[in-house]
Amino acid sequence: MNLPLRQKRSSDYACQYLTHDSPLHRLGAGWKIAATTLLSACAVGVRTPEALTLLVLVTLGYYALARLTLYDLWRDLRLVVWQSALIIAAYLALRGAKGLMPGLRTSVQIMVFYLPGAVFLRTTSTRDVMAGLRRIVPYRLSFLLTTSIRFIPFFLREMDEITTAQRLRGARLLPRQQLDPRNWPDLFHCLLLPLMVRALKTAEAVSRSAEARGFGLHRERTYYAPQPESPPSPMAAGAGGMGDPAGRLTKRRELYDDL
Amino acid sequence: MTTFKEKMRLWPQFTLREALLIGFCATFVIITRAGLRLHLHLPGHVMLFTMFFYLLARGCVPKIGSAALVGLLASLASLVLGMGMPGMVFVKYLLPALVIEAALLLFPSSLEGMLACAAVGLIAATSRALVSSGVEWLMGLEEEIILSKALFIAVANGIFGGLGALAVPSVLRVLRKNGLIESTGKR
Repeated sequence: MNLPLRQKRSSDYACQYLTHDSPLHRLGAGWKIAATTLLSACAVGVRTPEALTLLVLVTLGYYALARLTLYDLWRDLRLVVWQSALIIAAYLALRGAKGLMPGLRTSVQIMVFYLPGAVFLRTTSTRDVMAGLRRIVPYRLSFLLTTSIRFIPFFLREMDEITTAQRLRGARLLPRQQLDPRNWPDLFHCLLLPLMVRALKTAEAVSRSAEARGFGLHRERTYYAPQPESPPSPMAAGAGGMGDPAGRLTKRRELYDDL
Repeated sequence: MTTFKEKMRLWPQFTLREALLIGFCATFVIITRAGLRLHLHLPGHVMLFTMFFYLLARGCVPKIGSAALVGLLASLASLVLGMGMPGMVFVKYLLPALVIEAALLLFPSSLEGMLACAAVGLIAATSRALVSSGVEWLMGLEEEIILSKALFIAVANGIFGGLGALAVPSVLRVLRKNGLIESTGKR
């Protein structure tokens, strides 16, 4: 069956997360990190051609298990392929024809080293990574990480506004103008400096807001975790909207250790 | 017994405001990295803004660990947003940050002068070349090839890192002059 081009070319860039129903998509982030580490470690350790062939097959099988296409594979390996070509050329220049096999072996090893990581990124959503990190990262760091990510759209908007305003004042901030290093002072003083001022003000406002809400005051902390929609059970209906009238948010409590 | 003010602190050495500012610097590292991926295709160009924000964070929050925290947050955010492989990403972001910490521990006034700051940026950015070279060394790549490749990457990283760091002292001076950050003498 001829698939439309868009369907064959499922990703727009290397290591892009893709929503498929595959065993690897369903696997927990922790297991995937363990598999990635194991496969990458094997890529570092193998020396014989037989073992490398076996590892290539296993890694490709792992990749295929995620229901990713050959086009996705090309996207993920494109940069490494160029690097590999350079390595083979360097080996040939150093050792002549004898250098072909070691060059090829190392190139394949590098590809196999990076591929499990690409599978992890393609099969694990931001939410799953965050959920996995929440278990191992201290909550204070988790709070900072979430805040940093949460403010990306805000600062992108700010950057856009500052760029427009500064360009109207004559700053050389167009992408093609930035290719000339002589225009970089404009970038630092007309865009990044105002952005930093905005960051300082925002940090002040957010910290005051969090402090006003008693952030970090109590040993027992609470947060809202959205639950998947399900028909309300008679028991839940009986419990009757105790602080959760929509039945979609559950208040969870967790104890944390002081850092 | 811990006081109200102490409880509000994210870590003993950072107030919530300082920690958030460090978090925003990590955000800028990510934003500029993603943005530059679209426009420039030069080796090492990522270090231009990475070094700028690492050193700026260290200048705005002049405490030990602020640059390292930017590195840690940037690596975690990069992992969460799918911009880096697990494992490698931590070394890539943390190693230059730790070099900055070590350099500023030895020479605390490096952020005041342009040349000293550029030197710190250059050294820290150069250290990043060790990451890929380390992987290649583990793979058993010929030392001659590793060295020539590492030298090229280190030079490219160093130039961009040094240029990014060069802008830090003047930006810090403007921020201090306008009372947005405390002058170093007060701390």
